[in-house]
Amino acid sequence: MTVLVLMTVLGTLIVVFAIRLLVQSGNRRRKPSVTADEYANARQALDSVFIETAIIKRIFSVEDIEFIERSATPVVKCSFLKERKTLALHWFRKTRKRVAQLMDLHLRLASYTYDPNPGFELRLTAKYFTFVVVSNIVLLLLWLLGPFKATRTLSYAIRTAGSFCSTFSFRLERVNPTRLSSGRESLVH
Amino acid sequence: METQIIWWTGTALVAVVLMRGALVGNLKKYPLFYFYIGCVLLKEVVGLLSYRFAPNLYKPLYWPAELATIVASYAVIVEIFRKSLRHNPGIARKAQTLLLGAFALAVSYAATDLLHGRFATATRAIAEVGRDLRYIEGALLLLLLWLFVRYRILLGPNLLGLIIGYSFWVGLNVVNLALLFLPDKEFLALPRRLVPITYVATLTIWCVALWSSRPEPVQPEEGAIERDYDLLAAKTRSILARTSDRFVRAMRP
Repeated sequence: MTVLVLMTVLGTLIVVFAIRLLVQSGNRRRKPSVTADEYANARQALDSVFIETAIIKRIFSVEDIEFIERSATPVVKCSFLKERKTLALHWFRKTRKRVAQLMDLHLRLASYTYDPNPGFELRLTAKYFTFVVVSNIVLLLLWLLGPFKATRTLSYAIRTAGSFCSTFSFRLERVNPTRLSSGRESLVH
Repeated sequence: METQIIWWTGTALVAVVLMRGALVGNLKKYPLFYFYIGCVLLKEVVGLLSYRFAPNLYKPLYWPAELATIVASYAVIVEIFRKSLRHNPGIARKAQTLLLGAFALAVSYAATDLLHGRFATATRAIAEVGRDLRYIEGALLLLLLWLFVRYRILLGPNLLGLIIGYSFWVGLNVVNLALLFLPDKEFLALPRRLVPITYVATLTIWCVALWSSRPEPVQPEEGAIERDYDLLAAKTRSILARTSDRFVRAMRP
C-alpha cells in the first residue's frame, strides 16, 4: 500500500508539473527572451514601490488614527479606516508582485549561466519562501484587523522579516568585491 | 469490442505520428523519440497478429514486449534532455549529474529488490523489472520537469507537445502499474479502464503537437544575457535584502 501511495504521489506530481509547464510556456511565448536590462528595469520598478517611504510609513502611522478618534465623527472614522486599509493592501500586493517578478527574472537569467550554484539557489528559494510566508501573514492580518490594529500584532512577523533581511545583508557582505569591481559596481547597489 | 476499437485506434494513431514525422521532417529533429514510436508500432503489430492468429503466444509475449518498449522509452528521456537544455549549458551539466545520480540510485535499489525477490515465473520477474524501470523513468522525468518549471526553460511547440504527452503517459502508467501489482485484486478494474484511454489520449496529444514542424523559440543573444552567475546571484541577494529592509522599516510601529 505504501508503494501505491508513493507512486500515486509521483504520478500526480508528474501530471501537475506537466500542466504547470504547459501554462508557463504559454505565458513565455508572449515574452520569449529575458535580458540583463530587463532585470535592471524590474529592479527599478521595485525601487519605485519604496520611493515614497514617508507616505508608506504614514499609512501605518498610529498618530493619524489617534487624531481621527479624538476629533472626527464615526462616519469619517469609518471612511478613514477603509481608505487606509485599501491603501495598505494595495501597496503590499504591489511589493509582493514586484519581488515575485524579480525572482522569476533571476531564475530565467540563471538558466543561461555557465555555472549555476545549486546550493545558493536552494538557500535563495528558502529565503524567498520565508518572505512569501511572512508577507502572507502580514497581508492576512492587514485584511482582518486593518493597518493600525495589525501594527502591534505584526511585530512578531516583522521580527521574522528582520532576521531574513539581516541574513541577506550578512551574505551580501561576504560577496567577493574583486568580482564586482570591473565597472559593474552600480549593478549591485 | 470496445477494447478492439481502442487497440486499432491506438495502432492507427502510432502509424500516423510516425508517418507525419517522416513527412514534415520531425523524424530528423527527434530521432530518438521516433525510434521509440517505431518500437511501439512494432509491439502493437506483433501483439495484434499474435492475438488474432496465435492467441496462445499473446500472453507469454506481452510482458517481454512491454519491457522492451519501457527500455526504448528511455530514449525519449534522453531526447527531451538533449533538445530542451541545449541552450542552457550550466543547467544541462547540473541536470546530467542529478539524473545520473538518481538513475544509479534507483537502478541499484531495483536490482537489489530483484536479486532478493522470489518469483513464481519468469514472466512475473520480467513484469516486475518493467514496473521498476517505469518507476525510475517517472522519477527522472519528474526531476526534468521540475528543472524546466523552476528555470522557466523555453520550449518549442513540438518539444512541448512531446513532453506533455510523455508526462501524461508516464504519470498515469506509474499509478496504473502500482495498482496492477497490488496483492489485493479489487483495484484491477480501474487500471484496465484507465490504460487504454490514457494511451489513446497520449497518442492524440502527440499527433496534434507533431502534426507539423514548428520553429524553435528564439534564444536571447549572447551579449544580452547574464552569464556571470556570481554577479547575478549578488544582485538578486542585494535586491531581496534591500526590499526586506525597506519592508521592515515601512511596517515598523
